[in-house]
Amino acid sequence: MITLYDYETAADCYKVRLLLGILGLPFELVPVDIYPGDDHRRPAFLDISPLAELPVLTDGGVTLTDAQAILVWLASRYDGDEKWLPREAAALSSVQHWLGMAARLAATAGAARMALAKTAALDVAPLQAEAHRLLRVIDEHFWFAERDGGDWLVPLSHPTIADLACFPDLALCEEAGISRIDYPAIRRWLDRVKRIPGFSVMSGVFPASRGRADAVVSTTS
Amino acid sequence: MNHLSSPSPLSPAILSPAWHPIAAAADLPFRHVFHGKLLGRELAVWRADDGHVNVWDNRCLHRGVRLSIGMNDGAELKCQYHGWRYASRSAGCTYIPAHPANSPSRQVTNRVFPAIERHGLIWAALEPDQPFAGLPAGDWFAAREVIFHAPAERVLQAVAEEAAPCSLAWLSPYAMRLALRAAPEETLIILAQPADGGTTIIRALRDRAPSDAKTWLRQINRIFVTMRDAIEADAPAGADLAEPDFSPLPAELAEPAAPAPAGLTVTVARKWQVAADVFALNLRPLAGILPAFQPGAHIDVTLPDGTVRQYSLTGGPDENEFWTIGVRLMPNSRGGSRMIAEQVREGDLLSLSAPRHNFPLRRDALRSVLIAGGIGLTPLLAMAKALRHGGHPFELHVFARDQAHLPFAETLRGFGESVQTYLGHDPAQTQEAIKNLLGPHGVSQHVYVCGAPGLIDAVTRTATGLGWPDEAVHYEHFSNDRTIDSSSSFTLELARSALTVEVPAGCSMLSAIRQAGVSLPSSCERGACGTCVVKVLEGVPDHQDVYLNATEKLSGRSVVTCVSRANSQRLVLDL
Repeated sequence: MITLYDYETAADCYKVRLLLGILGLPFELVPVDIYPGDDHRRPAFLDISPLAELPVLTDGGVTLTDAQAILVWLASRYDGDEKWLPREAAALSSVQHWLGMAARLAATAGAARMALAKTAALDVAPLQAEAHRLLRVIDEHFWFAERDGGDWLVPLSHPTIADLACFPDLALCEEAGISRIDYPAIRRWLDRVKRIPGFSVMSGVFPASRGRADAVVSTTS
Repeated sequence: MNHLSSPSPLSPAILSPAWHPIAAAADLPFRHVFHGKLLGRELAVWRADDGHVNVWDNRCLHRGVRLSIGMNDGAELKCQYHGWRYASRSAGCTYIPAHPANSPSRQVTNRVFPAIERHGLIWAALEPDQPFAGLPAGDWFAAREVIFHAPAERVLQAVAEEAAPCSLAWLSPYAMRLALRAAPEETLIILAQPADGGTTIIRALRDRAPSDAKTWLRQINRIFVTMRDAIEADAPAGADLAEPDFSPLPAELAEPAAPAPAGLTVTVARKWQVAADVFALNLRPLAGILPAFQPGAHIDVTLPDGTVRQYSLTGGPDENEFWTIGVRLMPNSRGGSRMIAEQVREGDLLSLSAPRHNFPLRRDALRSVLIAGGIGLTPLLAMAKALRHGGHPFELHVFARDQAHLPFAETLRGFGESVQTYLGHDPAQTQEAIKNLLGPHGVSQHVYVCGAPGLIDAVTRTATGLGWPDEAVHYEHFSNDRTIDSSSSFTLELARSALTVEVPAGCSMLSAIRQAGVSLPSSCERGACGTCVVKVLEGVPDHQDVYLNATEKLSGRSVVTCVSRANSQRLVLDL
């Protein structure tokens, strides 16, 4: 049985819930009261997550921290079509590149969001400025990808865990005081992610209207 | 090779300064809502499925939430907060989920800005009636927009400094033609969009697609991104780079937009027969756009001889460019429908009222049963289209004399299995059919009926007998066949106006109220449409209308002023 240690409003936990939902995997959810309970700093939790980080996933005797690593685990183990984590060299390294970007988004936009929600004490201005620098690059990436008919971060005809890893902090960045008005190509991609079959929302992430009936994203073979 | 570098069709100041590009055409993919900004004003920009581009103020009239996070359903834009819906083109509010049984006021209309799609770009003006002048026709090819966090003058100055010698010509305060020093052999059009005081969006256009588009797009993007980085590095980071602009709305925007003018003039664009005794008329506005309407709405049509008749609008939410009505040629016509059938021709002008909404449709029911008799199909057709567009379950049952008298048969076929027709039924068969199709009442079920009085009576009686509550049974009468008894005389008190008005025998309350100088809208003036309903504060009304249902009549809380009277000596109205 898959168990997810979860904090409902954490972007990193949301990305794991997204993939679990899309793959249709049953799982047990253990809520951890980060704020105001500070339960993630208690010794019992530090035993499974030494950096006091969420999410944590346990599955088949394995305990995993780091949201990106968890996405890799779930896709490798449960997506027999190898779509969410492609194995071909160029695609696989591109996925890895964007998983790194997801970590940078979490460290900037994600951290600013938590600070503004008063669950962390940080100076948000430099975090927001760095996040804008990342968003400019991502927007440009999508604009040129769209010119080539590409809808996703990795140049494939379907989304990968890279899209799910980057989605939460980009979809929630306005809660971090980072307006998306300058990033139209990112906004179009947010709509596309929201139309992936099995997509789920969280607080602050609104659904998109239905896309074209003939444009339903195929995420299985 | 490049016709722009030789004597050019572009003279300086050719572009109208009131119009600005606000998005690329590709920024409006299927059912997306684009978030734009022009001269400090935030815009929600969206394309309806019919291709129409809407440029609106970016806030819901309810709580001011940005409509750019709303949902574009192809014909309406839905606010994410409380689900208010606004129609494409007019931006009129069509539905408020918190009040599913009521019609939103016509005043709830968002601000619409003029928009034009040209040269692969979406252009908008913040003021109405500004003539648009674009670039000469051609296959203009636009590079990716680059957003500078710097004022327009500063950005334009920096771009001008990059111009090759003698290549620069200004086309408007925000547009120029030039060749860049980095690529002197190529003439570009540079358009600057002043998003706000500290943000400028630059778009470079070429007069046709380059042979190697990918390389050109990358090259132009690199040039302007480099320019942007240099300008931004030179200036302290703009305040809005760190903070999004969540500035409060100006007070004037907090007020609803001015109400639509009371009357409008339309052209009969098409007139065609849709049943043996029914003509359909396609009505298009002479100028501007038609106001928003909700399913079940009717309009007053003023005929060439001055008579006024009511007709339901049959269109769905995606039919907002024109209206379609159905007119039945009655054997005992009072002249109105005969005149339309025989005299009104394509190209004629008709004067219409704004839509009236006295037959509202709920969009939250688990089951909506629509029952039509003949021409009574017209409002239900609009309802069926709205329910289908929204993906709500519904059944449409249509009674007609025979196939030849089944109106809009072709449209009905498009509804497939949602439509059931009943031809040539006598009253007993009709009664039986209604009983079978209605069934016992379940939670969240509503029935809507329109047609001859006999059909409406049969449906209301049968529904009541099957346990359907009054509030789940909705009907619209075309006319009130009852003989009006206007022999009583009584005193009216208009509470809010602090007026006392005598209503003598032979005079209606509506006329007496108007003679006292209090305005009250009306439409059919025969007790059928409900436009002149007023709240009763004290006294006992003598109901003679067919608009209020039995529960409403029994409660005595409202009265139809055109035909009803008082059973008490004194009636106090909330007017």
